[in-house]
Amino acid sequence: MTGGRLHPFTLLAIAAALPALAWILPAPDGPAATLVVALVLTLTPGASPALTGIASSPGWRRGLVVFRTALLTAAPFWLFLLLLHDVPTTIAIGLRITTMVASFVWLVATLEPARLVEAMIAAGWSASIAYLLAATLSAVPVLKARARRIVEAQRCRGLSPRGGIAARLRALRALALPLVLSALHEVDERALALETRGLVPGIRRTPLAPPRDPAVEQAARWVLLLACLAALARRFIVPRFI
Amino acid sequence: MKSLTLDHVSFWYPATASPALRDVSLEVVQGEVVALVGALGAGASTLLLVAADLAPRVIGGRLAGTVARRDRSGIVLPTPWTQASGMAFTVRDEVAFGPANLGWPAHEIARQVDRALERLELVPLASRDPATLSGGELQRVIIAAILAMDPGLVVLDEPAAELDAESARTLWRLIRLLAKEGKAVLLATSALDALPEVADRVVWLENGAVRAVGTPDLLADVAVCDAGLGTSVATVWRAGGLREPYPLTVADAVQRWR
Amino acid sequence: MALSPVLRLDGVSFSYGAVPALAAVSFAIAPGERVALVGRNGAGKSTLVRLVAGLERPNHGAVWVGDWDTRDCAPEQLARRIGSMFQHADQQLFASTVRDDVSFGPRALGLGEREVERRTDHALEDLDLTSHAAHHPYDLPPAFRKLAALAGALALEPTLLVLDEPTVGLDRALRARVTRALRERSAAGVALLVITHDLTFAAETLERVLVLDRGRLACDERSAGLVGDATRLEPLGLVPPPVAALSAALDLPGRPVRGAEVARELARVARGRLAP
Repeated sequence: MTGGRLHPFTLLAIAAALPALAWILPAPDGPAATLVVALVLTLTPGASPALTGIASSPGWRRGLVVFRTALLTAAPFWLFLLLLHDVPTTIAIGLRITTMVASFVWLVATLEPARLVEAMIAAGWSASIAYLLAATLSAVPVLKARARRIVEAQRCRGLSPRGGIAARLRALRALALPLVLSALHEVDERALALETRGLVPGIRRTPLAPPRDPAVEQAARWVLLLACLAALARRFIVPRFI
Repeated sequence: MKSLTLDHVSFWYPATASPALRDVSLEVVQGEVVALVGALGAGASTLLLVAADLAPRVIGGRLAGTVARRDRSGIVLPTPWTQASGMAFTVRDEVAFGPANLGWPAHEIARQVDRALERLELVPLASRDPATLSGGELQRVIIAAILAMDPGLVVLDEPAAELDAESARTLWRLIRLLAKEGKAVLLATSALDALPEVADRVVWLENGAVRAVGTPDLLADVAVCDAGLGTSVATVWRAGGLREPYPLTVADAVQRWR
Repeated sequence: MALSPVLRLDGVSFSYGAVPALAAVSFAIAPGERVALVGRNGAGKSTLVRLVAGLERPNHGAVWVGDWDTRDCAPEQLARRIGSMFQHADQQLFASTVRDDVSFGPRALGLGEREVERRTDHALEDLDLTSHAAHHPYDLPPAFRKLAALAGALALEPTLLVLDEPTVGLDRALRARVTRALRERSAAGVALLVITHDLTFAAETLERVLVLDRGRLACDERSAGLVGDATRLEPLGLVPPPVAALSAALDLPGRPVRGAEVARELARVARGRLAP
């Protein structure tokens, strides 16, 4: 299955439905099921290598990188939860958060910003809004690439990313500041740059390759929406009548 | 036919008291290449932003004087990597990004993209991911991307900065070709030695004001050489204490020597 | 008496996955030597620099920094001996002031505060950046940010400086500052390995030239001999800098390539012609 070939709206629908269901369905079975689905998705190939940064780590199979990223990103939340709550609550919330994280990571890895822009424009959205959404999605791999460059530059100045907790925290702090600063600085430059590439309000962008949207996928999106609504009804409305 | 006219233009960046441009008057005609030279901070980049209608419209600030534009302009910034769309997976898509934003029909886009790729010798790279390109390759892609939008006024800020000798040579030749095709070209560059072959006129900017305008022979002028803006040949000729007029290029020098 | 080399590459080959980048490259750099690394875009220059800095390991052969094999060292360890400045280093300035950024390196090496201050001051003075020391790096124009990044490498006071295009974006005045700073360090025994497109800079400041061509070391010789030779440079995608080309075209005695020497020869020959 190639997630990259599904219509972008379908991908968005799945990435929204899974976390929604995770929170609606009763714990721990509901969230566990959605988490399993989300994690299985992260293992499916089909994303462009550039999105996941695999181009620079050729040894890994694509899906494992996305899977691993999802788990590593969610791990700190479990730590905090354990400190604050008892075990059943931790599991319930943890599974839900992990589903959210895994869905988002999968989405970023699978959804090509260019295809999203094309899909939105074909559906009538304005180019500026489409680019805004796409830029948000592509922010993650861009930040990742930049973070890698900053870490390399810092290592070449003697900062070790390894070592004990104190050293790692110091390294993290040294990375955070320039990452945020340079990202903000670039937002400025980007606004100017996109102007130079013809982003003029009022002109309809020519779709270069609008993604196919087969009826099956459209139907599937409706089914997902209905499933979420049904689960919502079952959880909150039906019990009143019982 | 005049493509761009600046009439007594002064420009202040936002929240800045002293102007970056002082009373600049300049004309760029279709079919000509005008080069801006000056020390860093002399105002060349600012002037290019004004020419491309980005200052003050997009970056803010205050402008005095008038700017008259006849053609649509396209600008290549000195930091071309910031102009990448970030959502193209191939070089071809990246170059097509601009024309698509302008709403042109698909066949026209294809034509412009193919032409731009060929001119910048990017055809072998057409299917590459822009994120994997070197600085020089990306600079050529952005130049192609701007040219694909078919601007009447082409504005270039240090377009050869990241390029190696061969690519730079191709670029200078392309700029002359663009002028021949009727485009107006305004460029800022520190590659002074290339200008005798490329520029029709040279404008010397100092502290935001026009200090002198002339043909590329200006780059052999005594004052220009003393300011560190003469061609290498002219500068070394002057340093050797030889008489004026100083030769601009090696070929000129060989002729003088005989 | 041969001084032991600061940097030595022994038959180094490297590929990015299936794409070969360097093939069997061997050379050595002695203390105080000033070496230019030139070649077309894509010839492998940046790759070589990454190998020297320890960011990649060679697939074959070895890179020796002094007596350390880079395969056994992490980049942060090699920072004790190598100061590197990569392209667009100004995008990687991290601190809130120029001074803090420049002192980052010496501090990370674990030096005492007084030594950190000394090295920072020295680096800032070398590049005339002291007046900008309290500014935020992103408040400076790009050219000065580049100088700040270079100061950061100088502050490490390494035995080898590895610089990727240090003069791009600088005007003549700032280039002269960089040249002066590098010459001073080299006179004190620091070796230089500089990637540059600017053959004028290479001819003026760097005495030896390594030319990479499609991943292989095509030339390794004194810059004075190579830089004016158009027939040898052309197949490598390079062009003689104008002053060297002038020297060759006028057939000046000794074929000098550096500006001051060419000017002197021009003056001499011109005087000789005028004499009755």
